[in-house]
Amino acid sequence: MIYRHRYFYNSLRAITCLIALVISVNANANVGCENTASQPGLQHRYSDSWGTTFNGQRYQSSSNTSINAENASSLKLQWSYGLSTQAPRSYPLVTEDTIFIGDGGYGLVALDKETGCTRWANTDIKDIESAVVAGEIDGNTVLIFTGRRSGVYAVDAKSGKQIWFSDPKVHPVPYYSGSPMAYKDKVYVPISSFEIALSANPFYGCCTTSGGIMALDIKTGEKLWFTPTVENAGSIVTGRHFLFVEERGPSGAPVWSAPTLDTKRNLLYFGSGENYTKPATQTSDAIFAIDAETGKVVWVKQYTVGDAFNMACTVSADHPNCPTDSGPDLDFGAPPALTTLKSGMDIIVAGQKSGAVFGIKPETGDTIWSTQFGRGGMLGGVHWGIAVDPELEQAYIPISDLPTGESDIAPGQGLYAISSADGSTKWSATLQENCKERSCWPGFSAAITSGPNIVVAGTIDGHLKIYRGTDGELLWSHDTVVDVESVNKIPTRGGTLDAHGPMLAGNQLIVSSGYDSFGQWGGNALLVFSVEEGPTQ
Amino acid sequence: MNYSDILASRFRRFVATIIDLVLTPLVGVIVMLVTGLLESAEAYTTMATIGVRALTIGVIAYIVLNGWLLHARGQTVGKAIMKIAIVDTITGKKASLWKLLLLRMWFLPLIFLVALVPWSIIPIIDQAMIFTASRRSVHDWLCGTSVINQVAKP
Repeated sequence: MIYRHRYFYNSLRAITCLIALVISVNANANVGCENTASQPGLQHRYSDSWGTTFNGQRYQSSSNTSINAENASSLKLQWSYGLSTQAPRSYPLVTEDTIFIGDGGYGLVALDKETGCTRWANTDIKDIESAVVAGEIDGNTVLIFTGRRSGVYAVDAKSGKQIWFSDPKVHPVPYYSGSPMAYKDKVYVPISSFEIALSANPFYGCCTTSGGIMALDIKTGEKLWFTPTVENAGSIVTGRHFLFVEERGPSGAPVWSAPTLDTKRNLLYFGSGENYTKPATQTSDAIFAIDAETGKVVWVKQYTVGDAFNMACTVSADHPNCPTDSGPDLDFGAPPALTTLKSGMDIIVAGQKSGAVFGIKPETGDTIWSTQFGRGGMLGGVHWGIAVDPELEQAYIPISDLPTGESDIAPGQGLYAISSADGSTKWSATLQENCKERSCWPGFSAAITSGPNIVVAGTIDGHLKIYRGTDGELLWSHDTVVDVESVNKIPTRGGTLDAHGPMLAGNQLIVSSGYDSFGQWGGNALLVFSVEEGPTQ
Repeated sequence: MNYSDILASRFRRFVATIIDLVLTPLVGVIVMLVTGLLESAEAYTTMATIGVRALTIGVIAYIVLNGWLLHARGQTVGKAIMKIAIVDTITGKKASLWKLLLLRMWFLPLIFLVALVPWSIIPIIDQAMIFTASRRSVHDWLCGTSVINQVAKP
């Protein structure tokens, strides 16, 4: 009987301790956050699209950021938040008091801009890997983003509740990898394909899908039109292996990145990737201009001919799904940027994974100038995104040149400022390996962003840097590959800076650090730096 | 002749199982190639689609190599090579086809769970039962079968 009592009391004590531990952990996670309002402010947005503005410049004017060449060196870490992934791939939408961002496998979160405390979380949507952008439905602000394999979502910005979900399946295995754009009554969604990975399976009959751009009704998510980059994809049987497996083409030309909108001409510009299989088309590795209302193609300008490549080629050149004489995989992974020169002439600046950069005439697609940096490769060259400073009439070109194979050409990893008018180089900041005891590569793969006389760029080896726009002087550098204490009290550490890159919003600089793809360093740190000046509005 | 002389030795059963474990996936690959069930993009639309198609391939491969042969001859290829066979424990005759297809079928792929703790307990218990006096695994009990030497085949 005594033993029975002792067993009972010991059990009770253990259960009590467990409950206390759970309460304590939850309490820790909420320390200082008890008074966080659940409703976000929605009066001011610091960006209209992935490209900050619709024209894809990734430029934040002085009316939207107080960070500039004079105070950038005083940036300090204000707070950090531990994301639930080692490869964060969501780009935030920032309002006057809230940061909306996809938190890896956890969900969509609305964080207090000043403290990082959670206002609300929608944990139903797990695979957010795009920018969060905003649109209006009946006067209410909605957040629009994509789940990489699942589809397109619209949620109420005030509550986080889902309004609609759309997966029109323009082909059987779409990747919603590129960031959408919401403009007036439409949502434009880039489409790529999971076939890029399926091709590595030798029993898969590669390939039958096309990339493209899809337009959805912003009110319902209903598909309005889809413009493929490859007509009649998969219509030709080009061969057969293992007796039964049919090889098909043409295919591919995925659209990996956000579109750019030319409101003056009502055109959408976007870049395409390589063909997955032969026959190669004239639409791969190209810049497209399509009618933003109807999706009709206005012009296409191809910059690499005959580039047929898929992941089978990374397994072996003899893989049955790897095209014979496979191409170099030189996508336009970075969106084109539209800018107006001081002469009044508009020009598109587009950077390719080859390391080539082009000045293009918006009306016709004619190439006005071109220039080349580094050696390029499968992971750039120009990988995720360039930036433009319309005030200085220059474009900033980040070069990765991450080694992906043998090459006789010397790498040119670094940042280059060029004239938007003629492509001439104004300054360059090449990077040397600076990893001390860690093995890494110092190139710029992530998209970059620019502000008043500054450009912000993150390196594959985890350093976030700010350069002065006029002369390229390094103003500030921060090593993000460190453990940080996070607001939500989970183990948090930075890593490779890749993917969507940094954002300037008010007096803050926001970046996600960590990217464990391609053998790079994972990390889960959402870092928010600030200068002491108050928010700019 | 006593009962244990009729029963197939554990070694022969083990080798027969290994042979079938190698042959069944090979037949599965042939089924996959011929049917094209996992060849097109449509197969990879959802995880459920992939699962259903992969399961279909597995079932066809099992029926071809195990289910039908066990019913018709009392032997899989592995068992034929090792000169052993299965019979209905009570009648000593052919095992019932529906039991072979609906009950026994699941145990062959379950062997692959041995690599997945804690699920590995399922194939371990199933296989460990052959160390009992009747040398009948769980799937033998479920199907009412015993594994015997070929000479005793009906």
